[in-house]
Amino acid sequence: MSVSVLVVDDSPIARKMLRKALPADWDITVQEACNGQEAMLAYRAGKVDVMFLDLTMPTMDGFQVLETLQAEDLNCFVIVVSADVQPLARERALGMGAIAFVSKPVNAEGIRTVLREYGVMV
Amino acid sequence: MNASANVLSGDQTDALQEIANIGMGQAGDSIARIWQQFVELSVPRIAIVEADRIPALIHHFVGDGLVSAVRQAFHGGFRGEVLVVLNTGNRHELGALMGYDGPLEPHEEEEMLLDVANVLAGACIGGIARQLGADMGFSAPSLIGTDLDAHSVVRPDELSVATALCVEVCFNVKIHQLSAHLIALLPREEVAALGELLDRFLCTL
Amino acid sequence: MDETTHLRLLGFIVERLEVGILAVDRQCRIVLWNRFMETHSGRLLDAVQGQNLFDCFPELPASWLKRKIDSVFVLGNYAFTSWEQRPFLFRFKHNRPITGGVDEMRQNCTFLPLRDASGEVKMVVLTLADYTDTALIQRRLQAAILESETERRKQRALLRRLQGAKAQLFQSEKLASIGQLAAGVAHEINNPVGFVTANLGSMERYLGDLTQLIGAYDAAATALPAAQAAAVQQIRQKLDYEFIREDLTALIKESREGLDHIRRIILDLKDFTRVDQDGWQAADLEKSCDSTLNVVWNELKYKAQIVKEYTHPPHPECIPGQINQVLMNLLVNAGHAIGDQGTITLRTGAQAGEPREVWVEVQDSGHGIAAGDLKRIFDPFFTTKAVGQGTGLGLSVSYSIMRRHGGRIEVRSEPGQGACFRLVLPVQRTEISDQSPPDGPDLAGEVSAEELLALEETDGR
Ligand SMILES: Nc1ncnc2c1ncn2[C@@H]1O[C@H](COP(=O)(O)OP(=O)(O)OP(=O)(O)O)[C@@H](O)[C@H]1O
Ligand SMILES: [Mg+2]
Repeated sequence: MSVSVLVVDDSPIARKMLRKALPADWDITVQEACNGQEAMLAYRAGKVDVMFLDLTMPTMDGFQVLETLQAEDLNCFVIVVSADVQPLARERALGMGAIAFVSKPVNAEGIRTVLREYGVMV
Repeated sequence: MNASANVLSGDQTDALQEIANIGMGQAGDSIARIWQQFVELSVPRIAIVEADRIPALIHHFVGDGLVSAVRQAFHGGFRGEVLVVLNTGNRHELGALMGYDGPLEPHEEEEMLLDVANVLAGACIGGIARQLGADMGFSAPSLIGTDLDAHSVVRPDELSVATALCVEVCFNVKIHQLSAHLIALLPREEVAALGELLDRFLCTL
Repeated sequence: MDETTHLRLLGFIVERLEVGILAVDRQCRIVLWNRFMETHSGRLLDAVQGQNLFDCFPELPASWLKRKIDSVFVLGNYAFTSWEQRPFLFRFKHNRPITGGVDEMRQNCTFLPLRDASGEVKMVVLTLADYTDTALIQRRLQAAILESETERRKQRALLRRLQGAKAQLFQSEKLASIGQLAAGVAHEINNPVGFVTANLGSMERYLGDLTQLIGAYDAAATALPAAQAAAVQQIRQKLDYEFIREDLTALIKESREGLDHIRRIILDLKDFTRVDQDGWQAADLEKSCDSTLNVVWNELKYKAQIVKEYTHPPHPECIPGQINQVLMNLLVNAGHAIGDQGTITLRTGAQAGEPREVWVEVQDSGHGIAAGDLKRIFDPFFTTKAVGQGTGLGLSVSYSIMRRHGGRIEVRSEPGQGACFRLVLPVQRTEISDQSPPDGPDLAGEVSAEELLALEETDGR
């Protein structure tokens, strides 16, 4: 069965860049959301296995999504994808339950390494 | 050159927005590393503005209160000028951070403002240019003034362009009460050059 | 051009360009040092190569410069220094051994990151351009700008003073001509009043005569035949002769008093304007007060009660007409300041000490002067009164008059409690300088001929 992936970012270009960086040989179905609210809707509507989550977004930002997921004890692999690559932002995201932190601009190699490392993809 | 040579298309604007976002993130990281402080970042804002609206726009970005301002030119894949509008609460602490000994003399304070502006502009514009594959050079920054009213940072009658592309980002270093608005202005005729670089970037997606 | 030639050319340029070029590695060791640097530092490449920059040049601002270079390594951006904020980085002698002008070479520096193929910054190249000439020109320019700015400020102040002086002059002339007019009128009235007075005297005498005559007739009336006596008696009753006789005396007495009043007013007016005797003379300030008071009495009679506290001080040398003008300004102001009912107190006194001085005070119980206005009331055109009520010249003219007298005008006021103006005059006339006293309003002084000339000169440019 294919893995369901949700790409959350307010920038259409950023979503495009991320989708392009996803491994071609990974059996997935991809959904997109452009803010935290949409992400939570998509999450609640069906199953999401892996979420690529931007941090700065209007309406509901990445940190709020992490907070909600944690509060409701929902399980899902969240990989934070952010332009803010300061150590503090990274630590904060990881502290809130993200399994990994990828800095923008994303590249295929980086994504693959992360996916391998956490056994999301073999 | 495409049809709307001096306005960016929707895709180009999206791309610029994201690239500015990333450039700013990198700039924030660099600054955080040299100052060892967390830097709060804003979402970049992009707009095409008429010259006579620029003072109002700057006021809209930075609000009331007195500011210092620095300008610096950049040139490479595209040319323009960046205005760095600084709100420096605690200049002396910032001075210590930048290696000044003792209380700051007025000219040292000016030098520091120039330096802060230069670092921010270099990191941010440099970051954007790098992603676009453009090599950027910078001229020395110059001080527009200190303790200015936001409206008087730029005088429209002194501007030599009628329209400009404006990219605004804001950095905040809480501990030093430093906030900096970086406003990159591209003359309209340079927008085409930027558009081409953005198209090339979009093609790689 | 082949590559070797190209490299040689570049090498030559770096070596011989009139710009200092040096490069340091991550440890701040000197990697490159061109001829400009050798010449001006007096250190050859061999002596500095591989050495730490800060060891070689301990006079460099180490903590600041280290951070600056570090940030170029970390951020990979350009950095700059400008002579305007930091005159120089390296303490080099200026390049004007003959013409001189500054002590150290002014420098603009640029820090350039040199990246390797992977994008990592490996070296920082520092270029150092000589800006001494620019700095000198700028210094001269700045001095010139400053000078012309000062000049402009002086001109503006002078112009303001000139306008003030002109307005004052106009006002005094106006007052003087009004005074002349009044004196002329007084003079003209004097003659008719004179003969009316004389005639009235005669009339009074004639009336006595007539009364006497009628008394004689009265005594003789008993000798008249009854019919005639009755007729006379009838006329007498019809005309109410007794009343006429008493009233005539009263009428003449009142007319005499009226004429006296007119004469006094004429005298006061003449006294006040002193057209007949302008010029310096010892004058009785109390008499001045009284005659001025009479002239402005019309403005004051319904609202002010006058209290006089006279101590008969010596008579100072002054131009009485001008001092009266000052007193009139003060009295009119006092009247304006009193809304409905109030008191105006006139005081005189002498001050002990050298030079001997006398003073007059005009104190009112009016609304007083706001603390913020106290400094400005002597400025020409400063007025808090409605348009048409005040031109704001009274006190500035008074100030000038007092200054010309070698005296001064002082004021104290509690808002809500009234104001008190004091005129101080030296008893002996003194020579006065042209300089405006430091505490005086800068506009009130006269403009000297010199200043006028200077003004015209600059105006003509
Ligand atoms: N006795 C006073 N009490 C309160 N305020 C006074 C008094 N005398 C002068 N001032 C204030 O000083 C101002 C200037 O007085 P000044 O006599 O120079 O001009 P003016 O009375 O306004 O006009 P002008 O005398 O030219 O008709 C007045 O407008 C008033 O505000
Ligand atoms: Mg007056």
